[in-house]
Amino acid sequence: MDLLEYEAKELFREMGIPVLPSQRLDHPKDLKGLTIPYPVVLKSQVHMGGRGQVGGVKCVENTIDAIATAQTIFNLPVMGEYPKVLLAEAKYNADREFYLAVTLNRSVRRPILLGSQQGGLEVQKSLHKIQHVIVEQQFSPYYARRLALKMGLQGALIGAVSAVIEKMYQLFVQNDLDLVEINPLGVSAGGDVMALDGKVSVNDDALARHPQLVSRMTKLDNQPLEGEPSAVVEIDPEGQIGIVCNGAGLTMATMDLVYQAGGKAGSFLNIDGETRWDSSPTLLKQRLEQGLEQMIQSQRIRVVLVNLISNLVSCDEVAEVIAGFLNRRVPTLHTLSDIRPDTLIAQATKTPWLVVRLVGSRCDRAREYLATAQMPLVESLDEAVNLVVSRVQ
Amino acid sequence: MERTLSRGLAQGVGVECCMEFQSSIWWKLPYRYWVKLIQRSFVPPYAALDAGLEAIAAGVRQIVLITEGMPPLDMVCLLRKAETTETLVVGPNTPGIIVPGQLLLGIHPTEFYTPGSVGLISRSGTLTYEIARELTLAGLGQSLGVCIGGDTIVGSSFPQWLEILDEDEATEVIVLVGEIGGDSEEAAAHYIAEAIDKPVVAYVAGHTAPKGRRMGHAGAIIASHISELGTEIGTAASKITAFERARIPVANYPSQIPTLVKKALRLLTKRSSS
Repeated sequence: MDLLEYEAKELFREMGIPVLPSQRLDHPKDLKGLTIPYPVVLKSQVHMGGRGQVGGVKCVENTIDAIATAQTIFNLPVMGEYPKVLLAEAKYNADREFYLAVTLNRSVRRPILLGSQQGGLEVQKSLHKIQHVIVEQQFSPYYARRLALKMGLQGALIGAVSAVIEKMYQLFVQNDLDLVEINPLGVSAGGDVMALDGKVSVNDDALARHPQLVSRMTKLDNQPLEGEPSAVVEIDPEGQIGIVCNGAGLTMATMDLVYQAGGKAGSFLNIDGETRWDSSPTLLKQRLEQGLEQMIQSQRIRVVLVNLISNLVSCDEVAEVIAGFLNRRVPTLHTLSDIRPDTLIAQATKTPWLVVRLVGSRCDRAREYLATAQMPLVESLDEAVNLVVSRVQ
Repeated sequence: MERTLSRGLAQGVGVECCMEFQSSIWWKLPYRYWVKLIQRSFVPPYAALDAGLEAIAAGVRQIVLITEGMPPLDMVCLLRKAETTETLVVGPNTPGIIVPGQLLLGIHPTEFYTPGSVGLISRSGTLTYEIARELTLAGLGQSLGVCIGGDTIVGSSFPQWLEILDEDEATEVIVLVGEIGGDSEEAAAHYIAEAIDKPVVAYVAGHTAPKGRRMGHAGAIIASHISELGTEIGTAASKITAFERARIPVANYPSQIPTLVKKALRLLTKRSSS
């Protein structure tokens, strides 16, 4: 998850990375208490990129001008996102603009330092000019100096830029970040450097051990914290199929199969949990139950494909949860013992919302449990997918 | 075949040692000690680094990290230590390693596996079981099943396991199960073309996964390399192109894998008889 610019800059300031004097605005009228002398730059604080192109960054000369502009920016969506906060910042005359970043490289499995003399908007066009240094072992300032040299810097700029990189790296490690980026790093005619825009991405898995970072973060609306399990994820507004699966790989493979068969998945739920340190059968069963309830709340979802490969929880335990769920839904089916069996079957096949595919231990008992809820158990994944797709067509 | 040596090396970190197992594959590994770290409710992800370092300090040279959610920078620290001590780390976020009928280092459900000659390498848990099951149903047993892990930074790589399976006498065909995110499939495709003699069949999950969304594995995410720059990396299309370029047959869906494996086996027999 990304921090907003002003949140990133607060971290920069605390770390000693040079940033301009700035003030956070929650409302245009906050400009009356502005202590930074004009001209001032007003910047929309959104997670989406490309705010500059749509007019989310404007320079203002006086209070009247500022209030009107702030009003406009507050009402200006950037890729659909409205800012809740603006940043008012002193204007800086950069002679040159550099690009700097610290991130993790998955292939070399190490943090890498990135830098280029072509920063700002130029960086997109000159990606090949970005230099990198891999932080092989324990960090030492020479890694930063090495990058500054590779960037082709000379004289006092080597020291000034590598000092910034060093602090970026400290920030990166101390807060378990995925990315620290400064673009552009403004360089004045006199050789001073200034972080003009900043981006900080936190690591979802490490966030829980950085409460101070959580408390200062602005979360995106309607976006659950990534990594949070057991939430139904909406994907395609036209999709009528819901997928309940366990494991990321299997969930993706199942979604692919549904599309290949001509269906569209509307939402999915990954029960997951096999490799979570604190997972237990009770927890997983609970998650399945909540997930099913949550999924059928949606009016759009007409069929739910439950595709589970049991390991921690055996098939019969899963089936018990599903049967319980179904019996709660159609309590009358049970008591209609006087209805002829073929009518019952007709009723059951009409049950609109579930196709159950289970494999693993104690599958036969699972079949019996599901039979009490008139629910057939499918063992072949391809067959289950075809069944689901044929029901929505 | 496996014998538990000690449980809880120290401070209740929950380390299980297994040794003295007899499988042709293991003899090429430098030490005969394996450690199963963090089983089920053992060590929380934030304690995994400490447990791993402790295991290395205790002389353990093969580590399986089952737990998911270990911070990537902790993994970087562990790998720095592991590399200088020549320790093999499998995972994190993995069901571990299975040699059907012989050895289980992790949590693979044994009922889907059967001994045989297909080496199975992947990045995920349940999808690996699914494919093992498909293979077993088609009469194709497995020589080894290993998951390198679903997290962003993992220890052992596809090339390492490809090399082990290429040299393993029990393995005839290798099945590589990839997924979106990162570039490990691309690296594997390149390595197969360069160094692997045995036939490989590939499959990639996640063609229809929404972009930028975490699917459950921290590592399975299509993302721009850095911020908004650069081209997207980690797409299924990029991985499949890499495999096709390396002339590796790619299955379109899991149940097609056994068909492709059988085809590869037929070619092998034809080649050896001619």
